[in-house]
Amino acid sequence: MTIKRSDIKALIITGDGINCEVETAAAFREQGINAEIIHISDLISHPHRLNAAHILALPGGFSFGDEIGSGQILALKIKYSFEAELKKFINDKKLVIGICNGFQALVRLGLLPKPFETREMTLTHNDSGHFINQWVDLNVTPSLCAWTTDLEGMIISLPIRHGEGKIVFKGDEATQEKTYQSLYENGQIALSYTENVNGSYQNIAGVCDPTGRIFGLMPHPEAATSQWLYPSGKDKKDLKGFGEKIFSSAIKYCESNF
Amino acid sequence: MGHVYRFEIYPNQHSLKNVTANENALKKWFKDFTQTEFERIFEVRYFLVETDEKIEGIHAYASEVFTDSVTETLFSSESTNSEEYHGWIKEKGFTRPFMIDIGFRPGVTDNSAHAAKEALKLLPALKKRNLNVSSGAMYFVEGIDLNPEKLQKLTYEKMANFLLHKVTVTSFDELVHNTRLKNITFPNVDITAQQMALINLDINDSELSELNSKNCWALSKEELAHIKNHYKKLERNPTDVEMEIIAQSWSEHCKHKIFSSEITYSESNLPMGVKALGEMKIPGIFKTFIRGSTLKIKEDRKLPWLISIFHDNAGIVRFDDNVDVCIKVETHNSPSALDPYGGALTGILGVNRDILGVGLGAKPIANTNVFCLAENNYFKDNDISMPLLLKNPDRIKAGVHQGVQDGGNKSGIPTVNGAFVFDRDFVGKPLVFCGTVGVMPQIENNHNTFEKGQRPGDLIVMAGGRIGKDGIHGATFSSMELVDGVPSSVVQIGDPITQKRLSDFLIEARSHGLFNSVTDNGAGGLSSSVGEMAQLTNGADIDLELALVKYPGLSPYELMVSESQERMTFSVASETIAEFLELAEQRNVEASVIGKFTDSGLLNIRYNGEKVAELSLHFLHESLLPMKLNAHFDVKTKSAHWIKKKITKKSLPGNYKEILLDLFRSPNIRSHEHLIRRYDHEVKGATLVKPFTGSSEKGFSAPSDAGVIWMKPHGGDADNAIAIACGICPKVSEYDSYLMAEYALDEAVRNAVCVGANPDEMVLVDNFCWPDPIESPRNPDALLKLSHLVRASKALYDLSISYGMPFVSGKDSMKNDFIGVTAENEKVKISVPPTLLVTAMGKVPGLKTITTSEVKSADAYIYLIGEKHLNLKSAFELSELYEDYKIEYPLPYINGKKQLDLYRTFHKSMREGLIASSHDVSDGGVLISLAEKMMGTPYGMQIELSGMKKHELTGFFFNEGAGRFVVTVNPKDAREFEDNLTGHFFTRLGKTTNDEMLAVALDGVSVLAVSGSECMDHYKIQTRELV
Repeated sequence: MTIKRSDIKALIITGDGINCEVETAAAFREQGINAEIIHISDLISHPHRLNAAHILALPGGFSFGDEIGSGQILALKIKYSFEAELKKFINDKKLVIGICNGFQALVRLGLLPKPFETREMTLTHNDSGHFINQWVDLNVTPSLCAWTTDLEGMIISLPIRHGEGKIVFKGDEATQEKTYQSLYENGQIALSYTENVNGSYQNIAGVCDPTGRIFGLMPHPEAATSQWLYPSGKDKKDLKGFGEKIFSSAIKYCESNF
Repeated sequence: MGHVYRFEIYPNQHSLKNVTANENALKKWFKDFTQTEFERIFEVRYFLVETDEKIEGIHAYASEVFTDSVTETLFSSESTNSEEYHGWIKEKGFTRPFMIDIGFRPGVTDNSAHAAKEALKLLPALKKRNLNVSSGAMYFVEGIDLNPEKLQKLTYEKMANFLLHKVTVTSFDELVHNTRLKNITFPNVDITAQQMALINLDINDSELSELNSKNCWALSKEELAHIKNHYKKLERNPTDVEMEIIAQSWSEHCKHKIFSSEITYSESNLPMGVKALGEMKIPGIFKTFIRGSTLKIKEDRKLPWLISIFHDNAGIVRFDDNVDVCIKVETHNSPSALDPYGGALTGILGVNRDILGVGLGAKPIANTNVFCLAENNYFKDNDISMPLLLKNPDRIKAGVHQGVQDGGNKSGIPTVNGAFVFDRDFVGKPLVFCGTVGVMPQIENNHNTFEKGQRPGDLIVMAGGRIGKDGIHGATFSSMELVDGVPSSVVQIGDPITQKRLSDFLIEARSHGLFNSVTDNGAGGLSSSVGEMAQLTNGADIDLELALVKYPGLSPYELMVSESQERMTFSVASETIAEFLELAEQRNVEASVIGKFTDSGLLNIRYNGEKVAELSLHFLHESLLPMKLNAHFDVKTKSAHWIKKKITKKSLPGNYKEILLDLFRSPNIRSHEHLIRRYDHEVKGATLVKPFTGSSEKGFSAPSDAGVIWMKPHGGDADNAIAIACGICPKVSEYDSYLMAEYALDEAVRNAVCVGANPDEMVLVDNFCWPDPIESPRNPDALLKLSHLVRASKALYDLSISYGMPFVSGKDSMKNDFIGVTAENEKVKISVPPTLLVTAMGKVPGLKTITTSEVKSADAYIYLIGEKHLNLKSAFELSELYEDYKIEYPLPYINGKKQLDLYRTFHKSMREGLIASSHDVSDGGVLISLAEKMMGTPYGMQIELSGMKKHELTGFFFNEGAGRFVVTVNPKDAREFEDNLTGHFFTRLGKTTNDEMLAVALDGVSVLAVSGSECMDHYKIQTRELV
């Protein structure tokens, strides 16, 4: 028995400088599911509200103004307020997505690439040293990721808007290579840039956890759900855009697993 | 408090060898601009944490909060591994480095520290601790010929601002002892409040004038006399608080006295073809020309969509069935001159608050920004020494750019449109224009959202930031010229995170109906926000001690006029106050009830129970008589330029390709993509036309004409959008400011029409930035400057009426001059050219109407719409570049009625889908526009000219003039397209090709061939590495 679309619930966190919650919720709603924007303070006061949701989204933005490190303070805030409930959510095989700043927070929380293990990956300043907004081409590599099934094998185009999107692994070069290889072999590298856009290790743009249910990516699929939003005049059409497929993939996963 | 800890964040052993982009950029900057060679620069951030008692294990807590365990490590005053730390410095390649430490001066807004404190307090062990945090940066440096004094000076040049930061330089010998970790001083504010004081105005004129300047009131002689007279009648002396409120309310910045003055205008020696206005008496520029135009248009056109104009923080229009749209553009010039980053940041956050404070509050959805700047290269290349104390213009550029970037990006508001304008005369005062568009539901909780509804008895609530010494006298200061030695309190830094929280809270509280009215605290602080709101109920009582402060010791007058940022003032009914304050607390927004609105006719202010001000609102806002000023237009009366040196330019090249490529590299035409891509231009997922366009094969580097915002993601109609565009051309002012204003207005409108906006559903915003037009001994050409203001305003009046486009909002900044001395101790005054920014906002009826500038296919027809201007000499950009090209009168004016008709038919063609690409013709003329259309695509252009002579080609290619487009049309649509244009000038120039070449032939003979990629290379001369 599969769950009805309208019974699938996504919680989208906002507050403290998160600023892509509205378009992220809209992208979920376009799939016909129930998407609710919840202020992080309200989630902290009522962490059990996670129980009723199937999807948790950490949208893009500048939580805490990117001070100290992007996503760093948001990660601390989650860790010290509802980490237990979040662990349960993950152990219940539910879906999590972190986009841009949300990805940075998931990484700093230690949920990506391997939840509940010693951190071996981080996102740091782009090689250029500054923020960049630009559409980039991405390879959707075959992976375990539940969020990219509708796009697998394709080259897609999405906007990036970040200053700290360079993926770096811990340790010396050999250790870094080993970490990368293990992620690659596990099928955790879900998305990579076709060109070097920020200095990211092996051009990685998005990774998932070993179950494929937790996904973090630097590009913004929620800003590319319609072809009207494409950057070239010629490509503007009344059709769904590449970004939409990230959300449709997840909803299909929910339909066949809940 | 007792203990101060210092935590320094270093890269760990694996990341240590990385040299950051910032470190490289610093080296290059110092080499280029100060001829100083740094071999190594190593930047390290640090935090100071002050606690009232020692905290066991604080190093571990700080390590969790401050470092990224993958790449960083913490070294602190608690560390036991100082040997290891010295090893790092050695590993980094240093032998005997100097260390530069940049800390904040007490009381300066320190965003990193605020965030760090919040982060530390998330840890259970620190939650209940009393903590103060301050942040800083240190730079280890090694290089040729360095010493502490020089390094201190260089640091203030580039990384630090004397008004904000304290720089200390430690030599290697001291460094090894790590004294900075042992004797740590925390930058605490230590000030004492002054008691309220009475001010005796019963003194002679010269004493009065001295009092005026000592207190930074910036009141005129007449105003002082008016105040003196008022208090004589009241039979008492004013308090310092009253004087500060009056000075602030009557500052040029708040009161717009020049725009309200009665002006007698005359003119003489008009150059050939320059529009004569005749002698005029103008009751007030704003009243006559700006509001006058809008009221006339409203009356003539019976516009149902003009919802709220002029009386609120921003104009509101109804361009959508579900939501209303509002727009406001502000300038922040003087603050940006003092601290470019903070000035621009507070500029953008300030105009966002204008939008948040319109009606019952609108949500900002898009920003625009226009910078008018100078470039250091100009002064360097021409060997011109700059007046003392002026900042390097490149530093101003970097600072204001970073400010707008952080202000927009961190608030989640896309920066969708703007411009960079360069002129050597912006070196004294940069102009920083920041605009914001907002949306609001038309009706919420059964109230019109556009209407403010405060009532007597409502509580006055201040929310957001706290009050500090920062920004005291900001309003009066920006009404004065920039003079050496201004107090540091005029500088303010924005705090985007506090504002974001406030902004989210405001929209949420509005949706719950928790307040009756709101306005922003801008220039003049509480005095201005409460003062303005009090006019609606006719009175307010305030208890100043209830306002939240950053630190104790502020005097009552400071509490009243401080411009500490990120504050809004709400009017809240007593029935909803509990819920309002509860929500604020849940959303981490600080709010304090500071008084009550009344209908007493008075502004009553108490401090700890003592009355410190009792001002009649009538006296404050309505008693001042307008100034009487004279204006005389005669271009020959312009004062000599401050640069006495003869500047030599190159001579006009003989071939068009060289001219074209010279133009592409010139400051006002070349690409600023490397800067613009650092603005997030599509957060909120609604930016349909982005700042750059092109085809996917070539990346997206061709300029767009306007930003287009989709209404659907903002609660509007699915098939509706609005276009935002701007027009600005100060270079035309010296020839005729009437023409300059026409061009600015037309360019804004045309850019919006270019992307698909309907000229019949379009509104305008005016922003004047003028040199001081008031007569004084040090302002000999004031009459001319004021005449420019009259002419520009009259042009806006005439053309906006012809176009039927109302002004819905606007602002004027009237003292954009710098007065200082040269290295030779000569007095110098640098005035900006009269500068007018017009912003246009129009409805794009249906997404299919949207048209972008780039060529879409081969074999399309290329048209020039508008006149060819063969016989003019109006190539303004050529006159900037070449010695032997001079502008000549007559210059092309616009026939407004005819032009509107063209825009209507053009728009009709666009709705019918007949136009494949469209681009305006502006800076540089027709050839630049054609090249811009093709160079971002794999296509080319074959242009076949006839009916003109060879010597007319320069004019055809490069003359400028308003009202023109270049478009491409598919051959199948050409007939219908041409039929639509019957009665208008247009020329089919040729067709697009597949070969990426711009090839032009005259009567079959080739006169120019240049590839798109060559054009692009020159256009992107400054856009080095993008990513």
